[in-house]
Amino acid sequence: MLISPGEKNLKAIRELELGTGETISDCYQCGKCTAGCPAEMDPAPSVLIQYLKLGFFEQAVNAESIWSCMTCLTCSERCPKNVNPAAIIEGLKLRHLRTQDSRVSAELLGHEFLANATQQAVVSGFRKFL
Amino acid sequence: MSEEDPVRIPYYPGCTLKTKAAGFERSAMECAKQIGFEMDELKDWNCCGASYPLTKDNLMGLAAPANILIEAEKRCHEQEADSLLITLCAFCYNTLKRTEFAFNTEPKKLETINAFLDRKYEGSIRVIHYLEYLRDVIGFDNLAKMVKTDMSKFKIAPYYGCMLLKPKKELGLDDPEDPVIMHDFLDALGCQTVDFPGQVDCCGSYLIMREPKKVSKLSYNILSEAAEYGAQALVTACPLCQTNLDQSQADSAQFSDIDEVPVLYFTQLLAIALGLNTEGHQLEDHHVDPRPVIADGLEGV
Repeated sequence: MLISPGEKNLKAIRELELGTGETISDCYQCGKCTAGCPAEMDPAPSVLIQYLKLGFFEQAVNAESIWSCMTCLTCSERCPKNVNPAAIIEGLKLRHLRTQDSRVSAELLGHEFLANATQQAVVSGFRKFL
Repeated sequence: MSEEDPVRIPYYPGCTLKTKAAGFERSAMECAKQIGFEMDELKDWNCCGASYPLTKDNLMGLAAPANILIEAEKRCHEQEADSLLITLCAFCYNTLKRTEFAFNTEPKKLETINAFLDRKYEGSIRVIHYLEYLRDVIGFDNLAKMVKTDMSKFKIAPYYGCMLLKPKKELGLDDPEDPVIMHDFLDALGCQTVDFPGQVDCCGSYLIMREPKKVSKLSYNILSEAAEYGAQALVTACPLCQTNLDQSQADSAQFSDIDEVPVLYFTQLLAIALGLNTEGHQLEDHHVDPRPVIADGLEGV
């Protein structure tokens, strides 16, 4: 049974804080981010942050729900502790994309979708998922 | 105002305004001319990147918007224009405005980007949204005096979405939880403004690339609520909100229990209020044709 997150996880979390400029320990788990999140994320934003607070980086970075965040910034705007959950989630996505597979491809989307898509969706989607 | 040369404001269009949302640009430009200012498109512009990088270590994301601010600064110097850069697309506004904020508050970032681009941005540009220009420079009370069409039969809900308002600290356009700028705009046109809670809910944004069903559901929540509050149509300032809300209505399973709700760009409605010819404003290109609602609003007034 895993009771300690281990040095690898803790190092990854320190790098995440450095990269995002966020202080994860500032979160006091009020859940306001999760209450306002329109993306139905599971695990929810506050749960992802709790993973990180406890040192479980792998659980957070591999959570499928990070890919449902649409950076509407509702969580970031409402956080009473001035934590930016959207930035932390983006940091997790970037870490994932830098080390593992991308989450969208032109081949998968297909010509018809791309021909009819709104340009800014394609640009921002490729930035977030590729 | 019409006696003098119109004020020329440097204008950044962005990718979608030249393609999918060309009707948004055209209607905005024609309205501007009628109101008394000219949108002067930057000559050498590139894509802004569409989404502002949220992590502090992602400086590369600032290079593209920095290039745009540099072009705008160059233009303002050449023409001795006010240091404004006007935008229409909410994504472009968000990206450029946040870049402006970052450079104003973190000079080190500006120094790094200037060195990387081998160009020099001096930090003089103020990014301004078209709606903001109408509110702060023209004035909604003056705009009201320019309205030629009786709009009193139009029941329109303002839809703000996210990128026009958040983060408030950096954009400062309006209150992200309880905005009024588009309400005041609709009031100035003389419409019946329909206030509804979903006005600041997210439409699903770029999730359309991965989870279109979720976008349909979010769009349905927004549109069904607006209809419940009595809106005949929505107005928006974001091409992605427009296309998500409009085209999601093709998902007949999700939208089985409500009537279609047209989604207009606020400038398309402004053009009607100013009595302009709407040819070329691409009203016919929307998935949900707004023309019956418009015809209905104009009938018998």
